[in-house]
Amino acid sequence: MEKLTKKQIDDAVRLLKMPPDSKLVTHLNACVHCGLCGESCMYYKTMRDNRFIPARKVELVSSLYRRYCTLTGKIAPFLVNAKELDEGTVKEMVDMLFGACTMCGRCVKHCSIGVDISYVVHFGRRMLAAMGLVPDTLQATVNAALDTGNNMGIPVGDFVDTIEWLEEELIDEYGENARIPLNEKEKKVLYTLNPREPKFFPLSISAMATIFYAAKESWTISTNMYDVTNYGIFNGDNAQAGQIAKRLHDEMYNMQSKLLVLGECGHGSRVNRWEGPNYLKHPYDFEVATVVELINSYIRNGKIKLDKNRNQELVTIHDPCNLVRNGGLLSEIRFAVKNSVANFVEMNPCGTDNFCCGGGGGQLAMSEYNERRLKIGEIKAEQIRATGAKIVATPCHNCVDQLSQLNHTYKLGVKIKTIAELTADALVFDEENED
Amino acid sequence: MYWYQYLSLGCLGICVLACLWHFFRLIRLGKPKDLSRKSGNVTRAEIYSYTLAMMPNNKESAYLHIPAFTSGIFLHIGTFLSIALFVVFFFVDPKIFPEWLTWTCVVILLVSAISGLSLLIKRMVSGKLRDLSNVDDFISNLLTTLFHIVTIFYLIFAYQAAIYYYIEVSLLLLYLPVGKLRHVIYFFAARYHLGFFYGWRNTWPPQKMD
Repeated sequence: MEKLTKKQIDDAVRLLKMPPDSKLVTHLNACVHCGLCGESCMYYKTMRDNRFIPARKVELVSSLYRRYCTLTGKIAPFLVNAKELDEGTVKEMVDMLFGACTMCGRCVKHCSIGVDISYVVHFGRRMLAAMGLVPDTLQATVNAALDTGNNMGIPVGDFVDTIEWLEEELIDEYGENARIPLNEKEKKVLYTLNPREPKFFPLSISAMATIFYAAKESWTISTNMYDVTNYGIFNGDNAQAGQIAKRLHDEMYNMQSKLLVLGECGHGSRVNRWEGPNYLKHPYDFEVATVVELINSYIRNGKIKLDKNRNQELVTIHDPCNLVRNGGLLSEIRFAVKNSVANFVEMNPCGTDNFCCGGGGGQLAMSEYNERRLKIGEIKAEQIRATGAKIVATPCHNCVDQLSQLNHTYKLGVKIKTIAELTADALVFDEENED
Repeated sequence: MYWYQYLSLGCLGICVLACLWHFFRLIRLGKPKDLSRKSGNVTRAEIYSYTLAMMPNNKESAYLHIPAFTSGIFLHIGTFLSIALFVVFFFVDPKIFPEWLTWTCVVILLVSAISGLSLLIKRMVSGKLRDLSNVDDFISNLLTTLFHIVTIFYLIFAYQAAIYYYIEVSLLLLYLPVGKLRHVIYFFAARYHLGFFYGWRNTWPPQKMD
């Protein structure tokens, strides 16, 4: 690693010295080093390496805080393990905060004190971002979003071709009214996607389009900005995260839509529902909802009819961390799934105690940590196997990607589906829908 | 009053002032400002955060580590009892305590001191904990455990143990705001922030699975 410049150190330390509120100072002072969080972390559970204990990750940041922001740390650094921000510390921070944490927050819920460990890890990533030390692979994903408007760099022409092909298929099946409207202004819903959908999982777009058709929804997709993801939450650069969030925010005004519907993406939903207004420093004056909430509103209002017997295979849910533990959608996801399938089984543990799939925190973008990512996924794989389910439902395309890799690696023999796909399979069309 | 009692009172004053500094710094920094649209009930989540969320059945740090959790609970009970007795001793001579009260306190403090010692030994012996620990962790535990032990001695021997008791308490009070014992303040703040975060997003209080 190259020698750190004074500017790099100053930029990082400035963040420590200028906390926006009492949250950072609280969590950097609260850990008592009991070490009991280890068993809640999938990295520690699978690899038994003390470096992976969540408290150790907190310590990486709090030791810097003590060195630069506390009297004890300045006078007697040996006493409280107050560390200099040097090359060695930074190297460990990159490896542990980027490469050994999905920021799933499972350890937070189980911490004996209540230290928001994932918040501290994210703050550590912010320090590294301020020093320009984000792993290249992760930064490339953010750059792709900034440069092209979507994190996979899909050219608009290719995207339009994919959507038109899907629309033709849809019209063939359901008739002329079954459309995927592009760039139509003043529609009620502006629908967003994870770019993995047009690239790898186009059928999930068809599934949602079918649901929109069944619900007779007024909706559109913008070719200018359809990407719900925002890897700016992972690289720790809040300015870049804000830039990406602002594009989607501004596109709502451009398209003159009323409801921003967040496609099935855990972190994308988190960013645009919860973090976006804070990045942009103002509340959103339009409604924001996840796909799951929208589908549930259709079910509750009788806008769509479902026959759960059309999905007979045993289904289990993988709870995306950003939607359940950090997003409060536990019962909403179950409502959608239980209305769509005949046979359902919970994982153990599940809900807010569920384990991350291993693909969160930007891990899917950082190929240098692939081995670790698949190793920690063993916990999820065994959870799935224990249910005996044939289908794993999850409303997050990053989870779908990681679960698909786990399915292959650990030979689970299951199908991974989104909530929209399950719901679309259970749809019952009435005569009004038939053309 | 003897000089060592004055000393402990002075240290108590410093400790309280330093703790107040920590507290008012948190107040000055303020609550998190979340501009997203609230989904849950923050007040109910805060109550949950300080109560049911702390129950052993809700935390792996408790139910997967029963011996450590139980030791921790005893250690804290003993600490709060010792603090209460420290205040009481300024007004009531331990010599005139009823015998049943003296021995009840002694038994509780004996258990808590053993718990403290066991946690200290665990920290020294366990590679996992040693890796995580710094000098402060050992000093904090030692001062707290000694606090229980000298309280026992003061309860039993009164005047003969007084000087050791008050000097130990003075050291503890001086160290509390600068070492990890200051979590006495930050613990409550952490629970507050957790309640706010989960409450805003409707994660807490927990939703029903059905």
